Amino acid sequence: MNPQFIMDGLIAGAIIGLGAVGVTLTYSILRFSNFAHGELLSWGAYLALAVAGALGFLSAGLTKPIAPFSFGWALPISTVIAIGLTGLLALAVDALLFSSFRRRGSAIIIMVMASFGASLALRSLLEFLFTSRPAYFTKALQIAMKLGGGLRATPDQLLMLGVALVAVIIVHLLMTRTDIGRAMRAVSENPALASIAGIDVRRVIRTVWFLGAALACVAGIMSGLLIQIRPYLGHDLLLPLFAAAILGGIGSVPGAMLAGLIIGLCEALAVQAVGAEWRAAVSFVILIAVLLVRPRGLFGKAS
Amino acid sequence: MTGPILSTSGLVAGYEPDLPIVRGIDFSVSSGELVVLLGPNGAGKSTFVKAIAGLVPIHAGTMMLNGRDITRVAPHRKVAEGLAFVPQTENVFATMSILENLQIAVAHLPKAKRGAAIEALFTRFPDLAARPSRLAGALSGGQRQMLAVARALALDPPVIILDEPSAGLSPKIVSEVFEMLRAINASGVTVLLVEQNVKAALAIASRAVILAEGRIAHEGLPEELASDPLVGKIYLGTAHGHQGAPA
Repeated sequence: MNPQFIMDGLIAGAIIGLGAVGVTLTYSILRFSNFAHGELLSWGAYLALAVAGALGFLSAGLTKPIAPFSFGWALPISTVIAIGLTGLLALAVDALLFSSFRRRGSAIIIMVMASFGASLALRSLLEFLFTSRPAYFTKALQIAMKLGGGLRATPDQLLMLGVALVAVIIVHLLMTRTDIGRAMRAVSENPALASIAGIDVRRVIRTVWFLGAALACVAGIMSGLLIQIRPYLGHDLLLPLFAAAILGGIGSVPGAMLAGLIIGLCEALAVQAVGAEWRAAVSFVILIAVLLVRPRGLFGKAS
Repeated sequence: MTGPILSTSGLVAGYEPDLPIVRGIDFSVSSGELVVLLGPNGAGKSTFVKAIAGLVPIHAGTMMLNGRDITRVAPHRKVAEGLAFVPQTENVFATMSILENLQIAVAHLPKAKRGAAIEALFTRFPDLAARPSRLAGALSGGQRQMLAVARALALDPPVIILDEPSAGLSPKIVSEVFEMLRAINASGVTVLLVEQNVKAALAIASRAVILAEGRIAHEGLPEELASDPLVGKIYLGTAHGHQGAPA
């Protein structure tokens, strides 16, 4: 068996893990499965593409690759801007759709069905604006470096692994060491108690939308940079994202990342062992197994 | 004692607009009082105090705190205004440590003052100081109640409302909780207490109010209500005033 599956799995897992951190935060605090989360990955990637394109138009020097990577300064700058824009998009969707359901005390199933609708609308809008033809941040070819042990990776891939690791550490520290992080955990456990403990629950919900969208944006850009950008980019990752969030334990940031890596590795292993056509089934099998054997996941707290 | 620090006028509240549980309560608490709310199960005591805290929708009437109308103020803003509330159950963040529970409580203070505020709470509740990293969910019932009260007192509120703080506790712990409430009141904090433990509550109260069917049925000095056999029998479930079993 070729050990390269480990590197392929880690890279895919980092993207899944980062997206799953957003899923686990929104699920634990908003208390419904937001099936529109995948679209935030797609929108993040396309917004970064649009901003990077505009920056490249304004200054061609920004598109000149920063050695040893395949992209120029336009991409990091556009990533920062796209994070803000994707966060605003998530806040707009919440304000237009989900907040009214929350005010009415709507059942969870209504929120879930609304998220399906939002997903469809957001994806269709992307196809309308950008067409369904694949797009790329860069078409520069990169040669994979030998890492030892039969593993190879491109500089872009190694950078994305580092970005994912740093992002998860930052979010974990945010959740455990800051006022807003403690407030988010408090709202996740008991919103009513949180409100009489002095926490502005609506502010926390806005923060969670923004943070989840920001992480989705980074995951989408990672996927777009390492593979390609398509309107279905996020939609196709939805099952692995939810599988990772549930495997890691709802509400656990390190758990979601670790579970993302596990799912990425399992998918890559399945590709080698039984064929690429079974890749999509891996997340589904893991999801069902976790729900049957340990519904609270690896790091979830017993209810 | 001075004028009312907390009052309600014609307060109507409940989870459904057409099914009010609190049906027009005119009520006031003067600064420095320890008022106990008594009444049979289903009288609306808990709903009334939850409505004051902002956890139950208010359909009519007004509510004033320190002369300010707080009827439509969000629960977290009421905390900042000086109204602390300790619910009967699920009153601590069980998945968080003692220290984190208190850090949440002092988050409204400037950062420079938070450490001293938490130290002051640990001095006041030394049981909590022994292992601040312990999960609140692992505490005993009495310790949880201490933590819930400590959390509520973190911002030095002028008014604290407690919903059945003795529920589910052993008799020894119950007496400690009531002693703690007496001390809190003696330190100048106005206390509004919902209780089923009639005897213990009347023993520390400066005034007692009896609710029945969402309205005030009786109010007066604790000794007057305790010695009124009719009040005891009808509203408190005791055959001879407060000498009987807890309601």
